Amino acid sequence: MLILLKGGRIVDPVNNRDGIGDLWIEDGRIVAPPAGRQPDQIHDVTGKIVMAGAIDIHSHIAGGNVNTARLLLPELHRADAPLQKVLPLASAKWSTFETGVRYAAMGFTTVIEPALAPHQALQGHLELSDVPILDKGALTILGNDDFLLSLLREGEKPGAIADYVAATLAATNGLGLKTINAGGATSFKYNVRAFGLDDAVPFYGTTSRKILEALQQAVDDLKIPHPLHLHANNLGIPGNVSTALATIEAARGKPLHLAHLQFYCYGDEGDHGFSSGAAAVAAAVNAAPNVTVDVGQSMFRQTVTISSDVLRQFNAVGQARPKKSVIFDADAEGGGVVPYHYRETEFANAVQWACGLELFLLIDDPWRVFFTTDHPNGAPFTTYPEVFALLMSREARAEAAARLPQAALAVTTLPSIAREYTLNEIAIMTRAAPAKLLGLKDRGHLGEGGLADVAVYSPDKDIAKMFGAAHLVFKDGDLVVRDGTVTHYRWGKTLKVNPGYDKAMDRRLSGYYDHHFGVSHNMFAVPEHILPRPDPFQEVECAQ
Amino acid sequence: MTEAQIDGRPASLDAAAQRAAEILSRARLPIVAGLGTDIAGARASIALAERIRGAYDHLESDKIFTDLDVMRQAGRFVTTPNEARLRADVLLFIGKDLTKIWPQLLERLAPAAVPEFDLAHATRKLVWIAPGRAAAQVDGLDVTTIDSNDPHVALASLRARVADRPVNSGKGAKRKIDEIAQILKGARFGVAVWGPELLDSLAIEMLYGLLADLNKTTRFSGLPLGADSNAGGVLQASGWMTGFPMRTSFGRGFPEHDTWRFDAARLVDSGEADAALWISAYGREVPRWKKQIPLIALVPSQVKFDHEPQVRVEVGGPGVDHDSAEFAREVGAIVARRASLPSDAPSVSSVIDRIAQHIGGEA
Repeated sequence: MLILLKGGRIVDPVNNRDGIGDLWIEDGRIVAPPAGRQPDQIHDVTGKIVMAGAIDIHSHIAGGNVNTARLLLPELHRADAPLQKVLPLASAKWSTFETGVRYAAMGFTTVIEPALAPHQALQGHLELSDVPILDKGALTILGNDDFLLSLLREGEKPGAIADYVAATLAATNGLGLKTINAGGATSFKYNVRAFGLDDAVPFYGTTSRKILEALQQAVDDLKIPHPLHLHANNLGIPGNVSTALATIEAARGKPLHLAHLQFYCYGDEGDHGFSSGAAAVAAAVNAAPNVTVDVGQSMFRQTVTISSDVLRQFNAVGQARPKKSVIFDADAEGGGVVPYHYRETEFANAVQWACGLELFLLIDDPWRVFFTTDHPNGAPFTTYPEVFALLMSREARAEAAARLPQAALAVTTLPSIAREYTLNEIAIMTRAAPAKLLGLKDRGHLGEGGLADVAVYSPDKDIAKMFGAAHLVFKDGDLVVRDGTVTHYRWGKTLKVNPGYDKAMDRRLSGYYDHHFGVSHNMFAVPEHILPRPDPFQEVECAQ
Repeated sequence: MTEAQIDGRPASLDAAAQRAAEILSRARLPIVAGLGTDIAGARASIALAERIRGAYDHLESDKIFTDLDVMRQAGRFVTTPNEARLRADVLLFIGKDLTKIWPQLLERLAPAAVPEFDLAHATRKLVWIAPGRAAAQVDGLDVTTIDSNDPHVALASLRARVADRPVNSGKGAKRKIDEIAQILKGARFGVAVWGPELLDSLAIEMLYGLLADLNKTTRFSGLPLGADSNAGGVLQASGWMTGFPMRTSFGRGFPEHDTWRFDAARLVDSGEADAALWISAYGREVPRWKKQIPLIALVPSQVKFDHEPQVRVEVGGPGVDHDSAEFAREVGAIVARRASLPSDAPSVSSVIDRIAQHIGGEA
């Protein structure tokens, strides 16, 4: 079917387009205007804004820890009678089904789950399979597993580490590699309560820095498009701005992605011993072109923090709101689920909110700063429209800031920042740059041959309203959203990489699992045929 | 050849599915119960429950909620069998039923083996509260035991002594409690192991309190053994599909969860539910309700019911007749299992898909 989106404002930074024009779609792809043919379907989008489908690079939407949070907090997601007939299980709040529906309604078409534990990988993929409409992907976690730490202790060559990383990505169907407080969860099992970049992991001797360097090297050796995705040490601790700066240094000019950086921008100055160090961190990011970051913006509301940084989560148990939490010492990382309520009246929460916005606004290059709330850690993804409004309107920021303790704003630079994001910059940050960062050549743009993942918005003075309910959304050329309502389900792909490796590693892992765990290494595999829908994966090429 | 019956007489699978669809569609409040099935079966069942505006429950729900209710009130602190096996220098077993709940427990945790991830590489200590005769099964390791008829008292006394608070008990008993408290406090990474039958929610909450206190100075975590018939896997699937555990109803057109209201046996015996789909693919369990209502049963061959179900389909065993995904107690995660004796006996999910087709649309 030939589809024409006629007369919209096309915002496509990859192809340097920002102007009124037509967009043609056929067989799920964007095509050149076909000479002499009539479209089968015309959508008059005069006065609307046309962008590629948005891509979220870091959102906790699936896996054991997310599901634990659902089960821990039934009171936070009671369902109501839907106002209109809804699609199957879309009335179930926080279900995988509702997740896909709500993302699609905002014009998102690809979302990455950033924490897939190798020993829980099947559940992660089962959950992703039940997220409708979206394409998905998952970042596989290593860095606290005995096998890797033992390789480092024994001083094994980078080749062995690369083989192990590749074998694990293959077994877990990961799109990239994540490391979370590298060595921290394991150290916590040896009763360590604070763990920094240069602390040594008991029993193994290796440091967080060395784990980070080794994994960075492996990603490079394997030519995986997405750089190592790092959840750094000392998350959430006053004064951790020094950790952020040291970690940027530790990247040594090589590609590194720093996740939810907002949580590492805290100084320890002022009467409260808590201040924003975001300006210094933003300056360091600006000076380090090898580094990309996502923000992890916090917003004022009840949420729940879900993290495989079990040490950090254990230390946060006392701040749980409501007062209950789960700590899971799993094989390697594990996780912690700690509910939390960010309050406008709370000094520290106000500083955190400002820190996130400072990062967004003080990092110059929209290709290197990514739009996340670290869903649901800073805020649920459903707050994205409000965050867009804060970035695009100085006035909206001033209004929100007026409600906060002014002493908190005084330990930040936020009131002095005038920048407002343009639509083009929003399109870079949420479309073009994420596709580039993940190596997804087929999306993030509206050029010929690209996937017809397209979001059409109705401009509105109320920016949150505009981004909250897309006018039209196409996934693979299929019109799935009209005026913010998902009309039907379709089932997307899970994106994965498949770097080659020396298969001797499989035999080695098989022996290791038999000896240590007393179970077969195969037990943790994700066989394609066990997932509910046929042909669930799409491979993303590693560079040659 | 698929074995299906309608009113006790042989029927084709399709005729059975059609009859099942009629019964479920006609009911005011149908229930999907038992749910002894793999992840695919659970997914199909929950989708069907929404379609027919029914409630769903699992045959082992009572055991699941013993642990889950504590979590939802107070939280939890848990680890994996792998960590217990490779790291724990102290194991705290609670109850005589552990090896009955999980016959492979001792083989899997290998208490007599030196834990490889423990810095000291020392022989482990095993403490067993109320072991009955089970402690005799442990070879190659001295077991410190304490007999107790009441786990609440034992756990409360231990928690008090770990926190250096006085307890009101006889000298001999106090000496024993003190000895065990010292072992727990001296652990580098301890793991407490319990089942959901001998411990009730109050005891488990006390135990988590003990673990929280121990973690102020050292590391200690928990390993609840959970329940059979893939209760753990169905719980997970229910969580991501509806946000809630089993005992959830779509009667009002959206998921509502209530452990009392949507208990399948209560719904039937109170007269609220008027048709049931009973699923038990792992074993020969039959419904525990007393009242007779129209029943569709997806069960292994030769299961005996007090009253013959209106529709019966003999289904294959997950991981036996067909490949499956299910919660594996031995690793504490959902894993894929290859069929050990592949056959063409239908899976629960395939039968439910057939039923759903007769209701209209796919499950």
